[in-house]
Amino acid sequence: MKNYNLFFLGIFILFSCSNDEEYIYVPTNLDLEIPSNFPELEYDLSKNPLTEEGIALGKKLFYEGRLASDNIISCGFCHEQASAFTHHGHTISHGVDGKTGFRNTQPIQNLAFFTEFTWDGAAIHLDLQPVIPITSEVEMNETIPSVLEKLSSYSEYETLFTNAFGDAEVTSERMLKALSQFMVTMISGDSKYDKVVRNEDDTAFTTLESEGLKIFNNKCATCHSGELFTDKTYRNNGIPYNTKFTEEEGRKRVSGFEADFYKFRVPSLRNIEMSFPYMHDGRFGTLEDVLDFYTDGMTENGGVVDPLLIKNDGSLGIDITTDEKTALLAFLKTLTDNTFLNDERFAEF
Amino acid sequence: MKITKYIAACFIALTITACSSEEEEITGEGNVSLEFDNSYSTSDLLLTTTSYDANETEEVKISKVKYIVSNIRLEDEDGVVFTYPKEDSYFIVTEEDGASQFINLTNVPAGNYTKITFGIGVDKEKYLEGATGQGDFLTLAQDAGMMWSWQAGYKFFVFEGVYTSDETTTETAFAFHMGSHGTALDNYKEVTLDLTNSARVRVDTTPEIHVVADISKVLAGTTSFLLDDAAQIHVDAVKSPQISTNVNGMFTVDHVHN
Repeated sequence: MKNYNLFFLGIFILFSCSNDEEYIYVPTNLDLEIPSNFPELEYDLSKNPLTEEGIALGKKLFYEGRLASDNIISCGFCHEQASAFTHHGHTISHGVDGKTGFRNTQPIQNLAFFTEFTWDGAAIHLDLQPVIPITSEVEMNETIPSVLEKLSSYSEYETLFTNAFGDAEVTSERMLKALSQFMVTMISGDSKYDKVVRNEDDTAFTTLESEGLKIFNNKCATCHSGELFTDKTYRNNGIPYNTKFTEEEGRKRVSGFEADFYKFRVPSLRNIEMSFPYMHDGRFGTLEDVLDFYTDGMTENGGVVDPLLIKNDGSLGIDITTDEKTALLAFLKTLTDNTFLNDERFAEF
Repeated sequence: MKITKYIAACFIALTITACSSEEEEITGEGNVSLEFDNSYSTSDLLLTTTSYDANETEEVKISKVKYIVSNIRLEDEDGVVFTYPKEDSYFIVTEEDGASQFINLTNVPAGNYTKITFGIGVDKEKYLEGATGQGDFLTLAQDAGMMWSWQAGYKFFVFEGVYTSDETTTETAFAFHMGSHGTALDNYKEVTLDLTNSARVRVDTTPEIHVVADISKVLAGTTSFLLDDAAQIHVDAVKSPQISTNVNGMFTVDHVHN
């Protein structure tokens, strides 16, 4: 060990002698703060260490309309901070030329704790997820080579890439790493719920919220489990088939398995109060609609409805009384993290 | 202390090599040229203009054949395997682009190689390295149309054209796009081929390994595909792995030039 130190010291001395006049920019490393109640990080930071300059470039790219073919639609266009980075007022989101897909924008939060992304698991690494919206013709309708060419031609990116990666070369690896760095820092773990769990600031649940948590643990937490409020599985929750979007197959689109028809990723419930509308196609406008669906709205939809949602008598649904719904709603609202929703580090302006 | 041991080992190794090379000295590094030559049965593959017989009454005119060749390994006569550096071992072969059909491997240790192994597609290990693992290959693949836009993954094999049959009398489009299915199905497969004669890599000799890919095997391989049953196969849990097997079965080494 000591020998190594001496060895490196030697190298440093050599370099410091020979490179007297050369100025090398060294990005500032940044430690990621992970809430104490959170699980282990899934994202491998050793392959893409966080730096202030990398994150700054990632943020610039996140709000860069020129990643799209019309030079307008940025990531932030559909992922608005105030709505927990979802598309406010849209059931499904629209991309360039007003084209629409068939999915509801998902929140961007705590992605560093996941290994699969989107409603159907079409991306299995955070770095590669942005390839989908950038290249999808109903979203940003671009190609990676064309985006790289555009970015290379803008002088402001010369500085940003140089600061983050040592020189001005624009590559897909650097662009995607910078976007990941920015997204990795987007951690939402400062809601009232978190403060209660961590015994912070003498925060306590109201009686109604406590009651809601109990009901939640009994009736919802099998799927919406853990501190991320999802077990990360794909499930068919008996949502009625949407005849508007006949191309929708759920998880089957990615896996090719019939059994995965109309299965969707169990979404996290963090900031759920703000991330309306709900479900994969944004059909429900309010949380009340969602709870009503789970008590009265489930039906066969051409796939295999999750056995957990089948009652003993064979009918579909979860039994929740009106009072219980009120309590559940109170609890769900404790998952709203205003620190995150107003964090200037993530804001466009 | 340890260094002296290494020096001694090197010295011994050098001495051994020096002794055995009285017949022929095999040292240093050379290059290998790997040619991927697409055929249809016993004929050269021609795009668009030529009709080829497929299964039963079906006839195809092929407009696109592209595949990713990766993770190349060479095995010599003593069973020693040389693995080409992984970060440089991903290539896209396109029928429309003649240059893409010649893969040049550099810095290959001199030796007499008797087997070659390669994969079709991108292995999960590389994919899960994220942006680090893809490097510029991602840009190349997208340029070549070898990435999906609705899924963040590579198309390993692209096969497109039109077909007719007794049942389908007007020319109808077909397309097979095969790749892995997220975490659900890994369709990356490797194939190992014996070389007809050994590829003798030397500092000043670049052998050319001529691989023929018989594209007729895509429809008529281990599994037979009738285009009248399914002309568009993109993500199918049953058929995609079958296509992957057919594709891996289409390669043979025709000959090696030394």
